[in-house]
Amino acid sequence: MDLSYNAEDEQFRSELRGWLEANIPREWSRPGFWSSLDREEAFALRRDWEARKAEAGWAGISWPTEYGGRGGTPAQKAIYDEETVRASVPYTVNPLGLTFLAPSVMVFGTEEQKKTIIPDLLFNRVIWCQGFSEPGAGSDLAALSTRAEDQGDHWLVNGQKVWTTNAMHGDWIFTLVRTNPDAPRHAGISMLLIDMHAEGVEARPLKQMSGESEFGEVFFTDVRVPKSSILGPVDKGWEVAMVLLSFERGSSAMGQYTGFRRELDQVAALAKGRERFGKPAAEDPQLRQKLGASLVELELLKLHSLHILTAVEQGRELGFEASMTKLQWSEAHQDLGELFLDVAELSGQETTGEDFAGLDPLQHSALWSRSETIWGGSSQVQRNVVAERVLGLPR
Amino acid sequence: MYFALTDEQRDLGRTVRDYLADRFGPEQVRAVYEDAAGDGHPAELWKACAEQGWLAVTVPEQYDGLGLGLLDLAVIARAWGASTIPGPWLPTVLGGEAIRIAGSPEQQAEWLPKVAAGEVVLSIATRREGGDWTAAGAACTESGGTLSGTAAQVEYAAVADAFVTATADGRLWLVEAAAPGVTVVRTGGLDRTTRLATVTFADSPATLLGDDLDSLYGAAMVLTANDLVGIARSALTRTVAYDKEREQFGRPVGSFQAIKHALADLHVAVSMAEHGALYAAYALDSGQPDAVQAVHVAKSKASDVARDATAAMIQYLGGIGYTWEHDAHFAFKRAKREEYAYGDGAWHKEKLAQLLLA
Repeated sequence: MDLSYNAEDEQFRSELRGWLEANIPREWSRPGFWSSLDREEAFALRRDWEARKAEAGWAGISWPTEYGGRGGTPAQKAIYDEETVRASVPYTVNPLGLTFLAPSVMVFGTEEQKKTIIPDLLFNRVIWCQGFSEPGAGSDLAALSTRAEDQGDHWLVNGQKVWTTNAMHGDWIFTLVRTNPDAPRHAGISMLLIDMHAEGVEARPLKQMSGESEFGEVFFTDVRVPKSSILGPVDKGWEVAMVLLSFERGSSAMGQYTGFRRELDQVAALAKGRERFGKPAAEDPQLRQKLGASLVELELLKLHSLHILTAVEQGRELGFEASMTKLQWSEAHQDLGELFLDVAELSGQETTGEDFAGLDPLQHSALWSRSETIWGGSSQVQRNVVAERVLGLPR
Repeated sequence: MYFALTDEQRDLGRTVRDYLADRFGPEQVRAVYEDAAGDGHPAELWKACAEQGWLAVTVPEQYDGLGLGLLDLAVIARAWGASTIPGPWLPTVLGGEAIRIAGSPEQQAEWLPKVAAGEVVLSIATRREGGDWTAAGAACTESGGTLSGTAAQVEYAAVADAFVTATADGRLWLVEAAAPGVTVVRTGGLDRTTRLATVTFADSPATLLGDDLDSLYGAAMVLTANDLVGIARSALTRTVAYDKEREQFGRPVGSFQAIKHALADLHVAVSMAEHGALYAAYALDSGQPDAVQAVHVAKSKASDVARDATAAMIQYLGGIGYTWEHDAHFAFKRAKREEYAYGDGAWHKEKLAQLLLA
């Protein structure tokens, strides 16, 4: 066992840290800065800054250089995740494009697609949405019914997608559609790339319980999509989607760990300053047990990430361990949100800004954590995956 | 970055498991379990421990040991837990660690070669009657180089040649079993993969080892945590295997989501506990800055998950799991005893809360 990073990786860390220190506006770390901004203004600020970060070479960390990536190691990607969270870099505005689409284009894309899609993504010239879930196809994704009919020189698309992240800011959407309604349900699906500014595409915001509208619905009404605007072969969209989703595998949860661990420190500090039963809340044995339990689960998440990183560096196939990573971080974070609310008691139920605009970051996190056990495969789906694919229990 | 066992450590684990599968399987474990009056110290197994070097792992090479680390011991502890192996291996190794960590060169030269060769059985007698085992509640008081006091739940006391005990100031002492004033009274126990006794010292001559009770406890917590994750993994594996085969309502019971989800959660928890137990061994060995935290994380998670996994084994095997004939209760009872040995989950979480709130 050796938990040190090699000299090259440490060099990467110190360069990145230096760049972040020099380039993150100081006011960003002021408490309440982000919640004081108008949401559109905040999005635009994040989008521009992220593009400048990419121009400076701090994007696509482990992507090949031929696609504009940095050609770094998996360890450097983990270090990047850790350092950007540590430096309070705002979360990417292009998460689905960066995590899923770009690596899939590298595998399935035509030369033309590789040359346009990837750089546009890196520099945030195009915000990508993912069009998978539908009102009738959530956990059971293969039940999707958005249709694409072959009209000779184009596809004609009709249907609806839902829970679409960044729907209101999206420029393009990689979309699973049914191209062959007569084939068995996994066999007649294709992955179309659709311009969200095209005629017949309408995005509507979905207001979430946190008050934000990061999600939305996307409606397709007689949308004409060029035949070339497809990723992978016709009717092979399910296979493309499975490979696409596999890119989350092997990604460590060092970013989540770093962020959650800081939240736990904030909750501990809050416990010291509040009272419960006439004594400091920090002396309450039940809360102390929960604080200890939270630290246990977060530190184990970190070790799990190091385990994943080691496996990736050794070139081992990871299979379905990503489901374990997701369960561990999402459930641990939800428990941490609950712990914050327990410590804060009724004061945690109070808001200051209008329409949830000025939520305390811990309040926001506690609400948001309720979505984390649903999106990207609910905890129940992940448990099925672990039970069937890892433990080999019968379906 | 390499968070995994080395090839050599994997080989060691394989050697131990192969030996146990060939020579000390469920029948031999059961024989010890059923023989409540026996000393629980199978001679053949002890001989193998000595021959294979399993008692010599952390003993320095100059004292005929292998000079390896806690992580290598952890590999053996895990195999021991997985098969609920009886015998005084762990208490003897811990006694040896006390001498290695706190003893003088003369004490090391006297005792460690005998530990490595399996010529002595040692045990830890630091738990005060009434249950407290922390330094403040240590078993003995000292007066002019002799110790008096009573230690409870001492493992394998009846076959031990010497005891490591502690005084409330955190100093560690060695008392030979044959010394004047030492009385061993065996007690029963739910977990018969060990043997317990009450040991009384009455003005018994003792030699001072040093003042490192915390280091001894660190090693004890880490190795117990590794035994526990061995128990937990084995219990889960056996439950999964059974539930793939056992049919009710015309289908394998493992196809029901109520069972699948419980076993999936356990698999995640056991995997996390394995990471924690390995890291704690490494962190203590290499003096990582977060070693204390790592030990509390490891023992907390291992205690909780071994309890949950062995309870699940009984539940998801159905009636057969509650019978004397099935081995499930060996694992359940061993997990229970070890859960409380050197601090249960709640004790370690309280320690972690102290670190967080410091």
